[in-house]
Amino acid sequence: MSWFSPRGSGPHKEQQGRVQTVAEPEVHRSLALAALFDDIRGRKVQVLDLGPALGSNVEFLSQFGCKLFIEDLYAALATRAPSGDGELAGPEFFAEFLAIPEETRFDVIFAWDLFNYLQRKELVHFAARLSRHCDRGARLFALISILKTMPAQPFRFKIQDEQHLIYERRTSSERPSPRYAPLEVTDIFKGFRVDRSFLLRHGIQEFLLVKD
Amino acid sequence: MVWKKNDDPIHPEPTPAAPPRPAVPTPSPTPSGGPSSGHEPPRRTDRATIGASIFIKGDLSGEEDLVIEGRVEGKVDLKQNNVTVGKNGKVKADVSGRVVTIEGEVTGNVFAREQAILRQSGAISGNIQAPRVILEDGSRFKGSIDMETPKELGGLNRERELRPEPSHHEANRAEVAGVKAGA
Repeated sequence: MSWFSPRGSGPHKEQQGRVQTVAEPEVHRSLALAALFDDIRGRKVQVLDLGPALGSNVEFLSQFGCKLFIEDLYAALATRAPSGDGELAGPEFFAEFLAIPEETRFDVIFAWDLFNYLQRKELVHFAARLSRHCDRGARLFALISILKTMPAQPFRFKIQDEQHLIYERRTSSERPSPRYAPLEVTDIFKGFRVDRSFLLRHGIQEFLLVKD
Repeated sequence: MVWKKNDDPIHPEPTPAAPPRPAVPTPSPTPSGGPSSGHEPPRRTDRATIGASIFIKGDLSGEEDLVIEGRVEGKVDLKQNNVTVGKNGKVKADVSGRVVTIEGEVTGNVFAREQAILRQSGAISGNIQAPRVILEDGSRFKGSIDMETPKELGGLNRERELRPEPSHHEANRAEVAGVKAGA
């Protein structure tokens, strides 16, 4: 399928290019985000955003003078059919998905809530791929659901300011949440350690991982 | 194929059977030529349009604004002027301009001296380098965005650091309505 193919077959429920949300966006405080921006302030950083391209996030990040790479992981996953064992993505998929020069290095990776939508095996493959493009000190921001169920599609996250995220829900349907535990996260992301972790009231655990 | 702009004044002369004019490119005045400072020499406000049925393979350069509604493969280089890829436009090329607006599809890098705008209907697969970038929600983008303020002229020369310029278009340059080839 061409990258330019009209969406609609993918996960984005859109009409005439406009992304539909099924509920009023919610604004939540993000402690890990605040810590992350404190860490990178004053540095010229390379950022990988694994969510969809959102103008507000681009505009917000522009103040840091960063180079921003946008690779919409969930949209890419949606174009693939699961294999026999239900696994969507193996090492080949992630190599193709992150087809960037080997020497490219990311200082910050926004994974948002995408890990909730990958199986453990897929996450291991993905972590290995990401790790190749991270030097020591690189930071990875992830949101893990601790609730039994979660939306069937990832939220769209807009950075409102350095301490607040806007959650836009794209579907009213739910699916079981994998509820990855902190120890499981560090086991999957070998070479990274949990620098900060915050359990938020709305059932999300924020992780800020740092490459050792 | 060579497109040439007719800059001569129009003198109506009776001609028995005037051949049909090519639909594009069509120079036309634009109400505004985009942002400019008061210290710069007055800019031409002409605008050329590559129509929806036109396919151009080659390099485009020149000194007037350009709207692309057709297909272009090669390179679009109008650093001092505005470039718009319209909703019907499909461009496989690096695009350089003062303000670059994408409403259609671009596969290639976009370099804007002032601003790059990706409209809701637009899609870019490539890298953007511009001091200011606007992505409208619903637009599709895959690549990188470098918003470091480019030095005057020097910033745009950094494009060669991002992607070495292929030379296979050298023998296939086009000249479009005042958009001069090989500038």
